[in-house]
Amino acid sequence: MFVARSIAADHKDLIHDVSFDFHGRRMATCSSDQSVKVWDKSESGDWHCTASWKTHSGSVWRVTWAHPEFGQVLASCSFDRTAAVWEEIVGESNDKLRGQSHWVKRTTLVDSRTSVTDVKFAPKHMGLMLATCSADGIVRIYEAPDVMNLSQWSLQHEISCKLSCSCISWNPSSSRAHSPMIAVGSDDSSPNTMAKVQIFEYNENTRKYAKAETLMTVTDPVHDIAFAPNLGRSFHILAIATKDVRIFTLKPVRKELTSSGGPTKFEIHIVAQFDNHNSQVWRVSWNITGTVLASSGDDGCVRLWKANYMDNWKCTGILKGNGNPVNGSAQLGNSNPSLSSNTSNLQNSLHGSSAGRKHS
Amino acid sequence: MEKMSRVTTALSGSALTGRTMHCHLDAPANAISVCRDAAQVVVAGRSIFKIYAIEEEQFVEKLNLRVGRKPSLNLSCADVVWHQMDENLLATAATNGVVVTWNLGRPSRNKQDQLFTEHKRTVNKVCFHPTEAHVLLSGSQDGFMKCFDLRRKDSVSTFSGQSESVRDVQFSIRDYFTFASTFENGNVQLWDIRRPDRCERMFTAHNGPVFCCDWHPEDRGWLATGGRDKMVKVWDMTTHRAKEMHCVQTIASVARVKWRPECRHHLATCSMMVDHNIYVWDVRRPFVPAAMFEEHRDVTTGIAWRHPHDPSFLLSGSKDSTLCQHLFRDASQPVERANPEGLCYGLFGDLAFAAKESLVAAESGRKPYTGDRRHPIFFKRKLDPAEPFSGLASSALSVFETESGGGSMSWFVDTAERYALAGRPLAELCDHNAKVARELGRNQVAQTWTMLRIIYCSPGLVSSANLNHSVGKGSSCGLPLMNSFNLKDMGPGLGSETRLDRSKGDTRSDTALLDSSATLITNEDNEETEGSDVPADYLLGDVEGEEDELYPLDTEHVHPEEPEYVLPQEAFPLRHEIVDTPSGPEHLQDKADSPHVSGNEADTASLAPVDSSSSLLSVSHALYDSRLPPDFFSVLVRDMLHFYAEQGDVQMAVSVLIVLGERVRKDIDEQTQEHWYTSYIDLLQRFCLWNVSNEVVKLSTSRAVSCLNQASTTLHVNCSHCKRPMSSRGWVCDRCHRCASMCAVCHHVVKGLFVWCQGCSHGGHLQHIMKWLEGSSHCPAGCGHLCEYS
Repeated sequence: MFVARSIAADHKDLIHDVSFDFHGRRMATCSSDQSVKVWDKSESGDWHCTASWKTHSGSVWRVTWAHPEFGQVLASCSFDRTAAVWEEIVGESNDKLRGQSHWVKRTTLVDSRTSVTDVKFAPKHMGLMLATCSADGIVRIYEAPDVMNLSQWSLQHEISCKLSCSCISWNPSSSRAHSPMIAVGSDDSSPNTMAKVQIFEYNENTRKYAKAETLMTVTDPVHDIAFAPNLGRSFHILAIATKDVRIFTLKPVRKELTSSGGPTKFEIHIVAQFDNHNSQVWRVSWNITGTVLASSGDDGCVRLWKANYMDNWKCTGILKGNGNPVNGSAQLGNSNPSLSSNTSNLQNSLHGSSAGRKHS
Repeated sequence: MEKMSRVTTALSGSALTGRTMHCHLDAPANAISVCRDAAQVVVAGRSIFKIYAIEEEQFVEKLNLRVGRKPSLNLSCADVVWHQMDENLLATAATNGVVVTWNLGRPSRNKQDQLFTEHKRTVNKVCFHPTEAHVLLSGSQDGFMKCFDLRRKDSVSTFSGQSESVRDVQFSIRDYFTFASTFENGNVQLWDIRRPDRCERMFTAHNGPVFCCDWHPEDRGWLATGGRDKMVKVWDMTTHRAKEMHCVQTIASVARVKWRPECRHHLATCSMMVDHNIYVWDVRRPFVPAAMFEEHRDVTTGIAWRHPHDPSFLLSGSKDSTLCQHLFRDASQPVERANPEGLCYGLFGDLAFAAKESLVAAESGRKPYTGDRRHPIFFKRKLDPAEPFSGLASSALSVFETESGGGSMSWFVDTAERYALAGRPLAELCDHNAKVARELGRNQVAQTWTMLRIIYCSPGLVSSANLNHSVGKGSSCGLPLMNSFNLKDMGPGLGSETRLDRSKGDTRSDTALLDSSATLITNEDNEETEGSDVPADYLLGDVEGEEDELYPLDTEHVHPEEPEYVLPQEAFPLRHEIVDTPSGPEHLQDKADSPHVSGNEADTASLAPVDSSSSLLSVSHALYDSRLPPDFFSVLVRDMLHFYAEQGDVQMAVSVLIVLGERVRKDIDEQTQEHWYTSYIDLLQRFCLWNVSNEVVKLSTSRAVSCLNQASTTLHVNCSHCKRPMSSRGWVCDRCHRCASMCAVCHHVVKGLFVWCQGCSHGGHLQHIMKWLEGSSHCPAGCGHLCEYS
């Protein structure tokens, strides 16, 4: 089971995002109080705030880490219509003595005319790139041509999505067979039935991003979207937080069959859809192997989802804010007894897909 | 005039009605002001000066005050104000420094009343006294403020701010003689109207120009100021020193600020540039606007609440040449769109979760399912201006850690570190890796390794002890080889004991099998399958749930002395099922005389589930035809590798790929291999398993992968003696001809890991230096440098 370690975040307003770094030893939080805090894990497992600074002049919606190969780099985006790139300065500064590290702003990306709702670094193999999306429905992709110079970013692509964007996710696959791909979710709440998730793919020939797919079945506002870590899979898994949790698989149809040059065709299947949160789902996050999905909703609970060997996704755990697992059977009634048994196996399930009995 | 009065009476019931609407003006507006009857609004700009009636559905132009053939500069308005006592009286501030008053009661077309040409530069602001009919105040770019009595031809008094340009002047609503003025240098001054010689009080409110201020309509002494520093500050002026009570951070310089009627803590702001929106803030929640009006396409220049006691109607004029009426109810609410939760899965299976405290604390359960959060009914309730402020929103941050210290990914790290991938015969590698997997409780993986060994190692390699043992045991045909391996591990001494135990167990396992497969079928809703498929599913069902149910059975069978070498239970049901297969038995009995073949049978049976596409039966049939070359299995192995990759266990895929090398490589296309390698290496690097990662890179055959550790391999080193860069290869400095790689602690030449300080070039054995630095922070060489090794 899980142990909850409560952290006195001391943010002055809502925290909108938490993000672990590549190695899982640092954590960044961002809040409406316009600040970002960086937390480092000590040997004993405690999290210590090692930096806290004002980043924007509006709510900071998202914070994300770059691959450590590029240094200790964070990107944040805000209601103030900008995204910013920050780098930690290590060196002679006196701040270090007080256990505080120093972060400097390397650049401000000011192209958006509305709130920038998400920012994500591209997978490392693409170089130092990041994508932002904004409430005016434009996804922007920036690149730092010189990875040593974080203050120079050039706007490479502007993709118009027509709908107010709320979240983006890069396809993390490092395979050469998969061209760069980005999924965009919209939280547009106007009463239309337009599809809220669009997937754009980079076309080598035109050197542009073109729409590859639209998930027609998702018509409610989307709050979060996440590709699962790919880890050698031939297909992609996409989780969507909308009024429920949905998991899609995208299987590329072999290139030979499709006309060359055009966007990749995908076989899209919805493999899971859960309304157990009984309310809006705000966040989805994959574990490192892409086998367990965590979702959080307005019910204040985190739910864990995992596929069994039949590819049936099931709930394997419910965590309340205080870390205690909610009694599965009590929550869900007797209608679904398998869920309660799954909950009790939470620990097991988290040991990986082929975990078995522990020998004493 | 008659018209107006009629509108006023109609409104005396104080029931304002209207909707969000806008009308196009001929020119950009600079300022607006509302008549006290809340039915008319005046719009002023460089080339516009009009009065509009606010009707239920639309704005209707009532009067154009820009009359005369030749437009005078006096009509180029920077500001306009409508007297709150007299609905016929207006004043405008002209960009040429003239203050003009207008009397709507004049019978002629030209309503201009008085002209004060006392200021030298643009007048930024005019303000009527809230209760006195004839007192008008102006503030100008020239740094002076003037007070006019409308019954006289010139100003009554002049106030010199002694600082820069005046941006705003505002009579206090509560204190009869007091007014506030704001300046471009960031100062705010408080004046007594009777004392023009010097200000009562002055303080620096903002960093940069203070563009606007507004006295709170009810709370005496509350003054809101907005400046270019993007902040709105609320000051308490009743105390001896002006005290900053609230500070709201907006995203652009603040051009106007207006307290919202009937809502003590609300104020509206608009910005001077960049941002076209109007925000309503609750000053107690200074970071997130309570409401946002997004109608304007250009900078909003004037805002005014329509009625001093109605909080829901806001009027605004803009540079985009529109006049808008905003309904508070129609405002968009950034708070509602804001994500109240953050969630992130950590590397070790830990979860960071931040959630709005009210969501987490709500013990009573969740809200009823409302569908969309922005459901209309919900929406209205939220926007009720009377709704009490629930206090500052805050989030609870917690990290859920998996209880077993190292975290739930420890199996991955252990496996990566302990697997042997090369340097030994294949059989040994497989055995070793199987053992590692088994010790980590990953039975399916262990089984796979064992099977790989059987497939790819010629029968001769299987130790004779195992063979003999199997034969000796052969009461029934197919003793799984799995068993034999375990026995080998135990050593021959234990063999007989196990056999006894085994035969006992055999009788029981029949029932055990029935039980377990039965539960399985019901539990997992498996499709009804033919007999032989049941074990297949059973094996496939390597999902924890089933395994747990099984283990109780397991302990029953196991001899207490050998808990480490428990047989995977899978073996038993399998064997029996296959024997029972109608097509199987005779066939099997014939061919299965050699233990080797029986071994093969065991592994195809278990392999089959791995390869979900091929039928178990057909494979086992084929098996008995002859001794098969390893090539026969390559399809199977390939599918198995793909299976592991798709299951997210790229570690297994890559490990098998490396161990088997050429045997399978040709069956899997280059791109996929490369994909697996890069994914696995990325994962290893996440866990800081640099050595393993490098080993994998070295062992890979894919060119794209193996060149990964060829990049940036140059190290620049200084000689530890002469401190100059070493130019030649090797560790002998070509300047001082001494070996540079001496350990500063033990004074021996370092072979292996050498660590040195980049500051002073001294270093030595990793262990020595680490030990040294525990006790001292100075360089062990005694050079006095404070070394940093990180």
